[in-house]
Amino acid sequence: MQRYAMGIDFGSTTAKVVILDAEGEVAGSAISQKGAVSDEGVRVAQAEALQQAGITQADVARVVSTGYGRRMLDIADRTITEITCHARGAVALVPEARVVIDIGGQDSKVIAIDANGLVARFAMNDRCAAGTGKFLEVLARAVNIELEQMGGIALAATETVNITSMCATFAETEVISLLAEGVTKPVVLAAVHQSIANRTVGLVARVGKRDPVVMTGGVAQNVAAVHYLQKALDTQLIIPDGAQLAGALGAALFALDDLQLDDAERRKVQQGDDDLDDLAAPQSCAPACAAKQAKPIVFKPHATTTAQPTEATHGRA
Amino acid sequence: MSTVLESGAPLVKKANRLQSTKLNNKMVNAYWEDLFRAKEQGKLVCWTEGIQLNPILQAADIAWCHGEAAAALLAARKESAAPQAHMETLGYDRELCSYARTHIGCGVMNQASTVEAQTLLDVDARTLGSRIPEPDMIISAYPFCSTGQQWDNELYRTFGKKVPIYNISMDWVWGNKGSSAYMSGPEYREKVAFLKRQLEDCVRFIEGITGKRYDWDRLSEIMTYTKRAAELRLEAMKLCKARPSPASFFEWTNSIAPVNFLPGGPEIVHYFEQKKAEIEARIAQGIGTVPVEKYRLWWDGIMNWNKIGWLSDKFAGYDACMVAGRYTHMGFWQEPQVIDVRDPLDGMAQNYLTCPISISAPQVIDKIVEHCEFYEIDGLILHAARTCRAFSYPQHMIADAVGKRLGLPVAMFEGDMVDESFYKDEMVNSRVEAMLEAIDASRARRR
Amino acid sequence: MQIAGPLKSLAKGLPGASVCLGRPQPVGTSQMNPILETLRSVAEQPYQRAIEAKQRGQRVVGTLPMHCPAELIHAAGALPVLVQELPDPITSGGGVLPPFFCGFTRSFVDQVTEGKIAFLDAILFVDHCVQLLSAADVVRVARPETTIHFHQLIASVEQPWSLDNSVKTLRTFVEDLEELYGISISEDDLRRSIRLFNENRQLIRQLYDLRRSGAIDLSSTQMQAVIKSSMVMDKAEHTAMLRDLLPMLQTAGPAKVRKLPLYVSGHMCHAPRPEILALIEECGFSIVDDDLYHGYRYVSTDVDEAIGDPIVGLATAYLTKNRNAPCPTRIAPSVEMSEWLLQRVQASQARGLIVLLAKFCEPHYFQYPRIKQQFEQHNLSHLLVETEHEGVPLENLRTKVESFAEMIKRQG
Repeated sequence: MQRYAMGIDFGSTTAKVVILDAEGEVAGSAISQKGAVSDEGVRVAQAEALQQAGITQADVARVVSTGYGRRMLDIADRTITEITCHARGAVALVPEARVVIDIGGQDSKVIAIDANGLVARFAMNDRCAAGTGKFLEVLARAVNIELEQMGGIALAATETVNITSMCATFAETEVISLLAEGVTKPVVLAAVHQSIANRTVGLVARVGKRDPVVMTGGVAQNVAAVHYLQKALDTQLIIPDGAQLAGALGAALFALDDLQLDDAERRKVQQGDDDLDDLAAPQSCAPACAAKQAKPIVFKPHATTTAQPTEATHGRA
Repeated sequence: MSTVLESGAPLVKKANRLQSTKLNNKMVNAYWEDLFRAKEQGKLVCWTEGIQLNPILQAADIAWCHGEAAAALLAARKESAAPQAHMETLGYDRELCSYARTHIGCGVMNQASTVEAQTLLDVDARTLGSRIPEPDMIISAYPFCSTGQQWDNELYRTFGKKVPIYNISMDWVWGNKGSSAYMSGPEYREKVAFLKRQLEDCVRFIEGITGKRYDWDRLSEIMTYTKRAAELRLEAMKLCKARPSPASFFEWTNSIAPVNFLPGGPEIVHYFEQKKAEIEARIAQGIGTVPVEKYRLWWDGIMNWNKIGWLSDKFAGYDACMVAGRYTHMGFWQEPQVIDVRDPLDGMAQNYLTCPISISAPQVIDKIVEHCEFYEIDGLILHAARTCRAFSYPQHMIADAVGKRLGLPVAMFEGDMVDESFYKDEMVNSRVEAMLEAIDASRARRR
Repeated sequence: MQIAGPLKSLAKGLPGASVCLGRPQPVGTSQMNPILETLRSVAEQPYQRAIEAKQRGQRVVGTLPMHCPAELIHAAGALPVLVQELPDPITSGGGVLPPFFCGFTRSFVDQVTEGKIAFLDAILFVDHCVQLLSAADVVRVARPETTIHFHQLIASVEQPWSLDNSVKTLRTFVEDLEELYGISISEDDLRRSIRLFNENRQLIRQLYDLRRSGAIDLSSTQMQAVIKSSMVMDKAEHTAMLRDLLPMLQTAGPAKVRKLPLYVSGHMCHAPRPEILALIEECGFSIVDDDLYHGYRYVSTDVDEAIGDPIVGLATAYLTKNRNAPCPTRIAPSVEMSEWLLQRVQASQARGLIVLLAKFCEPHYFQYPRIKQQFEQHNLSHLLVETEHEGVPLENLRTKVESFAEMIKRQG
């Protein structure tokens, strides 16, 4: 019987699921727009992914969860942080990736990948939401525009202003002032995206910028964010197909690794086992994981993905 | 309060700047151009910040870069972003003193051979920051502020620990005993004496590097000019008691250079003679530095160097004259009378130890109250420079004291010396306006 | 197919909800060890014993971090109490000291304005940090009835006059104490206090050695409680407790599970919240060594009792201490903190370093870039965690620390 591996990325704003077959090919995937505030999002995403794969949950032999709500899922066999999973997923999608930028709903992270495809360093935003999807949400509200339209409108700007506030709340006040002074929406939105780019550049500096740079996470779908980030970093961003699924893909790959261990070894990598003596067994196929990428990752289209064209190269595997 | 004007073309009120300030700008430009060429001229260069050590260096014919001056210059010329960005790349937090970040950033940019510069940075040799010649010595003499002292030592590390550094400890006079008072008491005298001994030893350090005997006569000569310039400056400042005030805090800020880092000589004396004469002429004609002087204000806190001109016009627009401030009126050779030019070190040490961040908060508050009474101040602006804790720490207490003792309202807002991302226009506007309304209200009550 | 409710019981705690408060969570054997339990409760209510002592008529003198030689206060027959950061929200203190000051100074000011340390006869401090000086200065303006004295130990420790200057400063400190209480402090009084404090430090260092070697099971929150209690309670009593504690811990033996060894650096004036340390250990680490102030820094250096004049002994220890545990507020051109830290981490055989940086701590801000560079160049993983008085979002921290652990484990 075929054994499948499932990765669940239970984020703050979206839930994502990827199912891999025993050969590491994508059998199904899904993105649901409800995040960690309830379990509905996970259930919907799980159902859709299983349906796409043409299997049932019983066929899934191993589940790894990641993301903000990773510890809330009974169904997970173990949890791994989104940093490790995004890195794994991004490298699976773009094997030569050296830096991964993931800007999600609540946090933004930059990960430096070493020559073996492993996490070398990472930096995350601290308590502040500036530079994250949340920032965009707050400001979309202030400008009275749908979040999905922000990017397109921002790109239409022909001049620039500066939003100096590092804080999302203060930025909101600044935005309102600018609009009151008669600055047009495109210009204001451009400034907002420029601001995010600036914050991200700071995080990139902390881990050290190296090309190629891959971008994952929800904000990768925002054309203006990508545009300004590329400008600020002076580099072409690679946004692979399925970028938003990178975390879930990484989790699924870890689940697949576990399936390849024998039962005893698998128990040792079970959640909560930090004992160094037990960990003498291979944690996962880490150093060899780059070699494991025999099959290219191809996602089937889903109804719930927002598939906007971006300026950057995409569709690479 | 009517800053809202009648219908018709809006009248933009601008500050009526003193002509003599142009002379200051000329001298400052000449100083920097000279400094940029120091190495070509075969001069040794010292990096220092905090107190005005320059007369001591000038007497040994050493060129100097004063850290705060460099940072302020870059901010005013909109070139502070580059060194600050380099520092951020290296991992220096933005909440760190922005003077230090900017100045050390210059050091980093200057060090084209450092590992940092080679691997991480894109140093543009044409930018202002990287034109400052690298130091042959570093002298640390920072009163009260430990960050300043650490800044100097960070520079030492930035230059690979290869540039000799001399660390002067500037004791803070806490006033443990009842016998302590401003500029008097055994604790004060002891600390002045200790500082003087260190200055003497510092001169020996300088001799060690120059290989020449120190020219004490030259120091006396330089201090003669410096003392005279300082006296004239204080006299000119006091004339601003006049209504309307002929000069503003912003102009005094623009002429700190002659008593901060410009060479001591006839030029600085001449500068303040001109300034004083221009002020006297304005008083005779009843000309003020702002078109309409409805409010007389005090600026407390360190200056925001990115925005002087802009702020100057902003307050002119509010019919407010910023008459004086802690930074200008309580610092920079503020007690010239104790300097004996024949043997100046003791007097210099006393001036160093009584600069506005080096006296205790009770003394700062007393002096501010005195000044506010003298200049007939209506309200205080408290600019809380976020990265300058040395200057902003007593501001709540200052606000409290002027409120209780003089009944004056205040407008407090956060900003910074050279990092404009900490400054929020909207907040400044609403708070200043609220204060001016409070002044109006209290005037109305008194009628 | 019906997906059964995938969510675990929310009683486990919602992500993002918890910001740490002042409730330490003991892990390990403390429930069974009465001494550790006592020390934990002293650390949790750090002023309780001092308040009781004061009520009994004892002299109580407060000090501020970092280098105040509390032996002098002890020799005056007074209980020295090192002011601690309290987890309480800043209230009236916020109207006295601006918010862009480190958590310790804001807390200290608030404690004064809220009357929480009014029981102290006086506060004496010696350090050169602009934030401490600022905090003390506004305190005496806002609450002039507070007795605060400042005798600054020279920050520049490698000058030819550093020793003489320090000796002079400490003699003035002693005079101040004598005047405060109308007493006379003898050299023998000083020697006795020094001997007691030395023994206390030695016992704590033994705990460090045992923990580093893995011979005992002592969590980082427990270690913090050991040191914090030493800072605020009767030193002889604390020493007696340590003498009993050591053999108990040795008998109980090593930790059952050997976890990923970690070194924690930073927080050089006030204790990191115990929840942060506990969380780090929950994420798969065992903290084997540190240079926290509420840690190795406090006990790194003894006073040489062979030096005849005890004041000279204390001054010498002050200058020597900077080599054993470099402090970023000291000026010592020959010392390089990042190199020292690298050596210490390597010696501890930790697999990684977490730097706990208190927001607004400028001295640490200056040092961090070199630490970062040093550790990157030597391929030793490190993680920077910035902390604030208002607390740290624990979910965000958990993700970072877990990722850090995953990263290190996967590097093999």
